[in-house]
Amino acid sequence: MICTACSCLCDDIELEDGKILNACERGYKHISEYRQNRAKNSVNGKEVDLDKAIEAAVEILKSASSPVIYGMDTITVEAQKLAIKIAEKLGSYIDDNSSFCLGEFVEAILKKEVPSATLDQVRDYAYVIIYWGTNVYRSLPRHMSKYTYYPRGAKRNRGYDEDRFLVVIDIRKSEIAKLAKKNAKFIKVENDVELVESFLKAVEGKASKYDVGGVIREMKRADFNVVFGGLGLKYGLKGNYGLFFEFIRKMNEITPLYFLPSGFHSNMRGFNETLFETVGAVNRFSFSEKKSDKAFEFSELLRRNAIDAALIIGTDPVSSLPYDVSRNLMAVKKITIDPKNTLTASISEVSIRSALSGIESGGEMVRSDGVRQKLRPIEKTEYDDVYILKKILEGL
Amino acid sequence: MSFAFKLLNREKKLEDCRPLFEEKKYEVQLKKLKEILKPLEKATETGLIVNSDKCNGCGNCIVVCPVHVEKDPQGAGSGRGPTISDPIYRIENGKLVIKNMHACRRYGKSRILCVVCRENCPTDAISFLEG
Repeated sequence: MICTACSCLCDDIELEDGKILNACERGYKHISEYRQNRAKNSVNGKEVDLDKAIEAAVEILKSASSPVIYGMDTITVEAQKLAIKIAEKLGSYIDDNSSFCLGEFVEAILKKEVPSATLDQVRDYAYVIIYWGTNVYRSLPRHMSKYTYYPRGAKRNRGYDEDRFLVVIDIRKSEIAKLAKKNAKFIKVENDVELVESFLKAVEGKASKYDVGGVIREMKRADFNVVFGGLGLKYGLKGNYGLFFEFIRKMNEITPLYFLPSGFHSNMRGFNETLFETVGAVNRFSFSEKKSDKAFEFSELLRRNAIDAALIIGTDPVSSLPYDVSRNLMAVKKITIDPKNTLTASISEVSIRSALSGIESGGEMVRSDGVRQKLRPIEKTEYDDVYILKKILEGL
Repeated sequence: MSFAFKLLNREKKLEDCRPLFEEKKYEVQLKKLKEILKPLEKATETGLIVNSDKCNGCGNCIVVCPVHVEKDPQGAGSGRGPTISDPIYRIENGKLVIKNMHACRRYGKSRILCVVCRENCPTDAISFLEG
């Protein structure tokens, strides 16, 4: 089966004699605990059947003057398409976690502002592998062993200590920074913008605050190098994305350097791509104003009390957003569609129990590098996100 | 030193040193030695100790293992879960499990002190008796 615990979407998970093989600890818990803490279909705290819950959801959305649809990063592409259709029909806002996660990076790749590659190409060809502001040991546990530094690839078959050069950039000696030993470099960064400037100066052969000349020299030796950017890079750049992308472009004048986002939920890239194909934006979009804007971010809408109803799908903003923001949800009518009884589901006016994508329902998801994967569920449930969202769309 | 090596390799037991047990003057040394050799109980025949509490199943150890690369180049050697029936290691239920220690380069008479798996464990979940 394919594990849907994170955006690696590992496709070699096996079930044997009651054991789950090859999945990391995160994946194992995701798969083995799928029956625990399940959501119930309920309206105002009272358990109801699915049709009644869908009916109540439709009523809330119909009578709302400023609704938002939020989440969708853990559901399939097929379900995401339906959610976008609902937003279009309502003329509502639509946003996912990528607006505070790595949406800007995915947008730059989809708009072809920076060259990108697949993880399979990284495994087969990459020499210099830079992890910038991301500790994949925690967020994507098998990233290094399955796709990047450790596996032998078509043109990198002599092993990591000869055929790869690892660079880890972080504010602390993270778990993966400890792996930067032979043929590797750990850069302890204090200011990401200054580090980008150091790289730009080093390209021109000039010295600066950070000693990165050696990394540039290594990159020049190869025909395939890659940077994985995480949330540490995003927030460290303080909005200076242009400067960072200029560095990637400048490097490509000398030697191929590809960029890939590193982190996020199982199908966040799927949502970004699906919305991009529909409206030309990856997130925070208003169908009534027909544009994307920072002001339409879910957290911004909550801050300004600009919404009166929220359809929250497969995410738990009460747990993930700061209390100052999430407390404003109390003034909003909430419909939650989720397999689990999350904190958000437990305080929602309407809670609808859905199936766990990849375990109880099939469909398509998009890996962090844009490769599409067909899920291979171990069970089949009729009442999945697609069924529920189709019914809501019909009701509207 | 050779007795010490044999002790670590399980070729000798502490009881084989009779004066240690028979003469009262070695009582303190015997106690100390028992303490020192306690990790042997948890270690495999190659001296390997896996601390499951520290392991998150990242699989680095499985992919870097030279034996896996040689025997399973399209599976473990290429980053996938092992496809051979007798891998040294496997990830089961999110944790590293030792399956076939006899295939390890540290096993048997012509062993070498390979530490590649330990060197690439980000959380020191893998250790060997020698350190």
